[in-house]
Amino acid sequence: MNERVEPVYLEEKLEEIRADGHLRYRSRSLPTWCPGCGYFSMADGLTVALNRLGLDNKDVVVVSGIGCASRFPFFVNTYGFHTLHGRVLPVATGVKIGNDALTVIAVGGDGDAFAIGAGHIPHAARRNVDMTYLVFDNGIYGLTKGQTSPTSALGFRTSSTPYENGDMPLNPLLMLLSYEASWVGQAYAGRPHHLTDMITMAIEHKGFSFLRILSPCVTFDKTDNTYRNLGMKVRDIPEDHDPSDRLAAMALAMEEDHPALGLFYREDRDTLGEVMQDAARKAQAMNLAPKGL
Amino acid sequence: MNKAGTDIQFAICGSAGDGTIAAGDIMKRAAAAMGFHVIAFDVYPPEIRGFGKCISRIRVSSEQAYSLKEQTDVFVSLNDGHAIPHVGEVRDCGAVIYDDHLIAPVPEGGHISAHVRPAQIPYGLPIRQVSEQATNSARSRNIVVLGYVAGLLDMPPEPFHKVVNQKFATKPPAVAEANIKAFDAGFEVGRKVFRLDDVEVGSAPEADRGEAVMMTGNGAIARGFLEAGIQSYFGYPITPATSIMERLAVELPKAGGRFLQTEDEISAISATIGAGFAGSRAATATSGPGLALMTEMLGLGVMAEVPAVIVCSQRGGPSTGLPTKTEQSDLNLAVFGGSGDAPRIVIAPTNVEGCYRCAGMAFEIAEAFQVPVILLIDLYLSNRYETVFPSGRNVFAPKPRQAPERREGEEYKRFALTESHISPRALPGDPDMMYTATGLEHNELGKPGDVLHMKMNAKRHEKLKPATRYPGLTTCKRFGAEGKVDVGILGWGSTFGEILEAMFEAQEEGISCSAMKVVMLSPLPEEELRAFFDDCEVVLVPELNYQGQFANLVSGALGRPVVRLDRTCATPMAVADILAEVRRLASDVNEPAHAAAGGGA
Ligand SMILES: Cc1ncc(C[n+]2csc(CCOP(=O)(O)OP(=O)(O)O)c2C)c(N)n1
Ligand code: SF4
Ligand SMILES: [Mg+2]
Repeated sequence: MNERVEPVYLEEKLEEIRADGHLRYRSRSLPTWCPGCGYFSMADGLTVALNRLGLDNKDVVVVSGIGCASRFPFFVNTYGFHTLHGRVLPVATGVKIGNDALTVIAVGGDGDAFAIGAGHIPHAARRNVDMTYLVFDNGIYGLTKGQTSPTSALGFRTSSTPYENGDMPLNPLLMLLSYEASWVGQAYAGRPHHLTDMITMAIEHKGFSFLRILSPCVTFDKTDNTYRNLGMKVRDIPEDHDPSDRLAAMALAMEEDHPALGLFYREDRDTLGEVMQDAARKAQAMNLAPKGL
Repeated sequence: MNKAGTDIQFAICGSAGDGTIAAGDIMKRAAAAMGFHVIAFDVYPPEIRGFGKCISRIRVSSEQAYSLKEQTDVFVSLNDGHAIPHVGEVRDCGAVIYDDHLIAPVPEGGHISAHVRPAQIPYGLPIRQVSEQATNSARSRNIVVLGYVAGLLDMPPEPFHKVVNQKFATKPPAVAEANIKAFDAGFEVGRKVFRLDDVEVGSAPEADRGEAVMMTGNGAIARGFLEAGIQSYFGYPITPATSIMERLAVELPKAGGRFLQTEDEISAISATIGAGFAGSRAATATSGPGLALMTEMLGLGVMAEVPAVIVCSQRGGPSTGLPTKTEQSDLNLAVFGGSGDAPRIVIAPTNVEGCYRCAGMAFEIAEAFQVPVILLIDLYLSNRYETVFPSGRNVFAPKPRQAPERREGEEYKRFALTESHISPRALPGDPDMMYTATGLEHNELGKPGDVLHMKMNAKRHEKLKPATRYPGLTTCKRFGAEGKVDVGILGWGSTFGEILEAMFEAQEEGISCSAMKVVMLSPLPEEELRAFFDDCEVVLVPELNYQGQFANLVSGALGRPVVRLDRTCATPMAVADILAEVRRLASDVNEPAHAAAGGGA
């Protein structure tokens, strides 16, 4: 389980990092996250993934909502759009439709995704918009200083649930699997190398890829999703899991006590862009008259 | 307004299923094909199924008209139950056409002939019989009466034949043939009837402006968008905007553009802003309830300086309100809606031609000022037909884009403070100018920070000021008498048609008056407005809302008093109401003692 077995020396590591080239995807702004926040892994993971895929900075757009997670675009040296709370997916859909040549990465927190923005997820998923949606799930509202979120556990005490949270948490993976997402995976901020691999795969997927990234909010959650608790709970996805088997993926998603890390489901089908190209072809062939005369 | 030459209003009334709207459609297209100006407005029943009342009203004139007339010249009933309440709208010596051989008995007073005033001229004919004889079916009654009207008024049958053939071009040929038979049968009967009346269709004006096209306001907007090279459209159905979406659903893919029906209006505007950010000419269309949902994202468009075009066709409100009735009560929402100081451009065309031109220019303006542009119309304008003369060469085609110049060794300042307050905009894909757009207040680089809030706020407001002088766009215009007048009528949107008609009538009565339309509601063309106020003893503002939203906007901006004429009658404003108010104000101006008692400022 321990990803680092060899001792690491700072100078050597720095040299390696500089040589590897992924720093050109980091912006000059220093992340404003709290020291120790899980989100640093995501920033690193995405820049390494972009470097691996050899994508040109100018052809990537990172779109986000509002929240600590959504500060992400400022720390990446690509085009970015920091939008409104809950609206990352429709804006990202517009960006992709506006210019199909762009690689579009949508980013947001669990509140952004599953509370205020929940109504948009099924539609981006079922339309199979060719983009990657990274949800940083810390089970709490970080930016507004620690209220309960739709993925907070039962019994969780926060400033908005002083008498314990009584709302059943929802299951993001199960949601996305039933929303017809064509790529569903899970990663953990405490496993940065695996996280980077998953981000890379998610971007490579043609269609809508959804990656839930479990992440501790070290400032406002001292009891639930801590590195210690998450580290003990997570496990590798079983080796014999078949990612084309949606029912098996759903069964796996329901084992919430021990979140599995890896690819749950993948399917190859037409993207929204392809559907639109098809409409353009049919429009030429059919030459329909508009309603009326 | 009494015009030289032809000026006739037809109305045909029946129940859904009688082909009322279809007959009206053929009439207006045939008249347009003859070269006349046409204004038409159909009234549908609110329910989709059943036998609700339909009326199609069509004004045909050889000179440009600005609204429907209060009084109809030729009225046709296909259903007496529905038509009886409307017989009163026929003028003296006007024709009332109905079936005088009904097959079912009617109760006393149930027959339309009992409701025709002595001054009106009844024309009874066996509509059903003629239809059955011609086509073996009573279903062509609507076409029979069309032929009858054409025969009665000596209109040439050829344009009608042509339109009928076009209308049924996708059906088996027998359908068009049967309809032409029905038309000709009606025409023969009509031709032989003695015409008591002074109603006449003269010859059409010389077609000097190219070919006329019949369009609704919504159709005109879709056409303007297409000519301007719209690339993506996102929408959610809502009356009365839906037909813009349905038109673009068919046409946009043909033109290589992208069309998406979104899950709600928030998504529609979000995707529009997203596409605009990526450099695509993107638009959405909605009505008041949808615009209310869009306001937060509109604010992001303002803050992040993203071009986008949003059509709002108003209907009665608040809330779900009167979905099938016209009103002008979303002005506040369009001009001010959202959080913070969020200046945007709001353009409100006053007729169908204006819809076409404003839609054609909306993208260019949105791009020039890097801001969302709202096209504010209403149900009356969305659905009414007018003849439009589209420009032969495409004046709305996008001009080539100039990417910002990058200075070596300098970071790209997306929100650079410049003299014009407009900062050259990079698009994703442009090399070396990566930046992040945000709804947070930001510095010139686009990085969050509140230090520059005052300067950035000024930038967002000041950059829009020159929009009121944008070349090629009429942002306001004065009609009628020039110089000093007693009464000025200030109007916006669809109501301006009724205002003009009232103004011309008042002038004929010798009242000193003129009218001004304001097309750009945000920013307001303040200088021109001030000059108008300076010239008018009193300014009247008729509009279709309760609060006098435009009156508030103008008198707030100029600090000048206005007289309000606010109506929420769920129909276009009556010309007579405006005229009565103009007369009252004119006499107040000329007899000040009287004013002290009655005038309100
Ligand atoms: C319309 C609107 N409502 C509320 C807010 C306040 N708000 C900002 S972020 C946030 C929740 C953030 O939680 P999450 O999405 O989980 O992101 P995190 O900060 O945990 O990364 C809220 C409620 C807002 N910005 N806009
Ligand atoms: S508040 Fe929590 S989520 Fe936000 S930056 Fe700090 S640790 Fe991270
Ligand atoms: Mg969160």
